[in-house]
Amino acid sequence: MTSTIPTYRPDLYSRSAVLDPYPHYRALRDLGPVVRLPRHGVLAVARHEDCRRVLRDDAVFVSGQGVGLNRVANRVGRGTTLNSDGTDHEQRRSVLAERLTPRALRGMRSEVEQRADAVVASAVERGDVDAVADVARALPTSFVPDLIGWPEEGREHLLRWAGATFDALGPLNRQSLRTAPSALGMLRFARGIARRRDVRPGSLGADLLWKADRGEIERSACPALMIDYLAPSLDTTISAIASAVLLLARHPEQWEVLKREPERVPNAVNEVVRLESPLRAFSRVADRDTEVGGVPVARGSRVLVVYASANRDERTWEDATAFDVTRDAGAQLGFGQGVHGCAGQGLARLETQSILTALLRRVERIELTGTPTWGVNNVIHSLERLPVRLVPVTGGDR
Amino acid sequence: MRIIADYPRCEGHGLCVDQAPDVLDLDDDSELVHHYEDRDLPAELEEPARRAVDSCPVAALRLG
Repeated sequence: MTSTIPTYRPDLYSRSAVLDPYPHYRALRDLGPVVRLPRHGVLAVARHEDCRRVLRDDAVFVSGQGVGLNRVANRVGRGTTLNSDGTDHEQRRSVLAERLTPRALRGMRSEVEQRADAVVASAVERGDVDAVADVARALPTSFVPDLIGWPEEGREHLLRWAGATFDALGPLNRQSLRTAPSALGMLRFARGIARRRDVRPGSLGADLLWKADRGEIERSACPALMIDYLAPSLDTTISAIASAVLLLARHPEQWEVLKREPERVPNAVNEVVRLESPLRAFSRVADRDTEVGGVPVARGSRVLVVYASANRDERTWEDATAFDVTRDAGAQLGFGQGVHGCAGQGLARLETQSILTALLRRVERIELTGTPTWGVNNVIHSLERLPVRLVPVTGGDR
Repeated sequence: MRIIADYPRCEGHGLCVDQAPDVLDLDDDSELVHHYEDRDLPAELEEPARRAVDSCPVAALRLG
């Protein structure tokens, strides 16, 4: 049985592969539906249809043994929504998602739009900016910690901690070891918050503690749930916003399409997440003997679902590497899919759409003024620096 | 062919509405409205319905 599964030896998590993963993903897709990665002791699933199947078949491909690539993270992560299954997961997820669904966010829409507009207005005023620091990071960091209820103290560490939490879900390599103290720092801080109860009143975090008081969730689950909220709420959205700016700077014809037809903005966000997926991959464990794309997968196998590869699968997407805001990008898997589908995607979409809408209104065109640099992280694929000039629309500041 | 909706699981992302507006909608409270509940879809809506099921980010829709 093992002989039917091809092997791919290069390290998907080497620095060079992390910076330019796409040739590796293509090689994985071409090798077959399931590919053995001996370095990481996992089976990679890299084609769109197969990734989708694994994500949607949560009874067979379970998360309870962790979704990372190393035992430490998979053990430490117990108690998070990401690492749970069945009714346990259902309960945590409903607590987590309750105030994050598009339904629940309707009341926040205009506030987020106004904040996004203020961020863009201030960047346009400066003209030459780093779109990562001055646009992409500026919006989520201006209100998401408040929404979650994270105390003022410790906020300066948030981005470093959140990035490290994602690094820790990769293999035990130089990168995850280097950032491990930061990941533990966040866990410690979250435990402290749950103990001291110093969360902002009315915040999601305050809701969690209140639900624990009423016995709706276990008190011991609170720190993990706080991390569930915070860790994914920043870097991922920052990645999507920054990639959107880069892609629109590089593809002025797509920028023009959106200028003419701003109703395409929601789909453009899907297209950005498809082409530059903020999350590379998470894993599952096969709970029984099964198959993927006709290839037998034995019980106990850890399966790496490579979202960022699925989103560029030539079998699914015509001209897969082209940025095209008019293509139907609705089936992209960048937010995951199924019961573990990103709980914050409504908020992420709202933030990214609001920034794009503000840019389209205030900016004539976006010019690259330097070389963009990508960050190094085992799980998050995000720009680190993006020097651009935002050329304002003529005839006033609108 | 039918679309079966798991209402408790639906979070109102609305991606299905973009794919199959003649089959699915969100009302003013962002609650899912299913125009073919417990009914077979006409042939011309089968393809959009498939795409709608595929687009649901939380897998609240399936074909039946």
